Amino acid sequence: MSKKLIYADHAATTPLMPEALEAMLPFMKEEFGNPSSIHSWARKPCEAVCEARATIARCVNADPEEIFFTSGGTEADNWVIKGSEGGMLVSSYEHHAVLNAAASEAGCGRDIVYVRPKVGSGGGYIMPEKLAKAWRDGVGLVSIMTANNEIGTVNPIHLLSDLAHKRGAFFHTDAVQAVGHIPIDVQEMGVDFLSASAHKFNGPKGIGFLFIRKGVKLEPLLNGGQQENGIRAGTENVASIVGMATALKINCERMDENIAHLENLTLRLRDGINRIFPYAVYLGGGGTAQLPGFISVSFPGCTAEGLLHMLDLKGIAVSTGAACDSKNTKISHVLKAVNVTKDIALSTIRITLGAENTIEDVDGIVFALKLLRGKAKLPR
Amino acid sequence: MATPKECQYCHAELSRDEIGLSKKLFESETKKGKYSCMPCIAAMLEVTQDDLIAKIEEFKRQGCKLFG
Repeated sequence: MSKKLIYADHAATTPLMPEALEAMLPFMKEEFGNPSSIHSWARKPCEAVCEARATIARCVNADPEEIFFTSGGTEADNWVIKGSEGGMLVSSYEHHAVLNAAASEAGCGRDIVYVRPKVGSGGGYIMPEKLAKAWRDGVGLVSIMTANNEIGTVNPIHLLSDLAHKRGAFFHTDAVQAVGHIPIDVQEMGVDFLSASAHKFNGPKGIGFLFIRKGVKLEPLLNGGQQENGIRAGTENVASIVGMATALKINCERMDENIAHLENLTLRLRDGINRIFPYAVYLGGGGTAQLPGFISVSFPGCTAEGLLHMLDLKGIAVSTGAACDSKNTKISHVLKAVNVTKDIALSTIRITLGAENTIEDVDGIVFALKLLRGKAKLPR
Repeated sequence: MATPKECQYCHAELSRDEIGLSKKLFESETKKGKYSCMPCIAAMLEVTQDDLIAKIEEFKRQGCKLFG
């Protein structure tokens, strides 16, 4: 009998939504025309790109001309950081797409300041006081993620962008983990730039978008043709753009239902974990300032990497914030930034549920943890 | 020459891959000098030995130096 596979690593990537695939197929077959061509083969692809842009804009409360297609979140982040000017203030627990782009800019002489998240109980957030304290003259851009990819905390972006604007800087948020999962409104958030990646919300891989507020100037990252209003060159990935818009639209329509479903699953999972491991430690805030379906949990005394591999052998996919090779143990920059102890960091796994997960999946995870605790002698 | 390691349960002599797998899965146990052979690990985790072999191949592909 084959074992039931349970995918609980949705923060890494999500399954492609069938409706998105269906919408993509014509543009991978008969409607293969280049949307920039001036003959009739361009007509449908061009209309599809235009419609997708309008759909995405509606989902985040932007104007269609403020949406620019990219190859994903990494390109969108790099574009903002490398296309902007002045000093930069970034949080120390950003995704590497932001941190490494900022480090590259620092190598070119740009002033980069790092702000750390709040630590300790209820920590994991970037608070306006922290941002104000870290401020330095000459900061032209602030980049703080909407939701953290390892601990799932959701930052108060509207407060942070307000502070940045009052001090004369532009504000960028990497919303890769949040778009399609929690309400995103670029007007309410007050951001000038927002990055997103389709494969995190059941769209295809290799496509994303950047919101650039009207009137805000950004130098192109890629030079070439005149696509994307002349600031992002490269023939449009029509099928993926259509797939991304379809997935986002459906996820936004189902958002309330998905959030309620994931909150139920999360409660059940936490309850099951607490019964097996009474000393489990949860990272991140919980409640409304946490991504739905997101659990970052530490089992002190266990080795997270071993636990991950044992769960994988049982057909369950989760993730860790620390990884070992034969000689070294590397703790992620996020767990370091939130200042957890080495023991906690090395015993933390990330379980991220998606809308397609079921109560049976959650019970399967709990059952596997119970078996591993008993037979593999995991500490209680 | 170092004494060959044996399985903590059935005392079978262990291969390099079994030692590596014990280290990957049960680090705290191996720190106490306790290792397990493939059949005992499979029984403990209620998986097949083929599952374990596939996992070992995955570690090798990832470049883990613990395996032969």
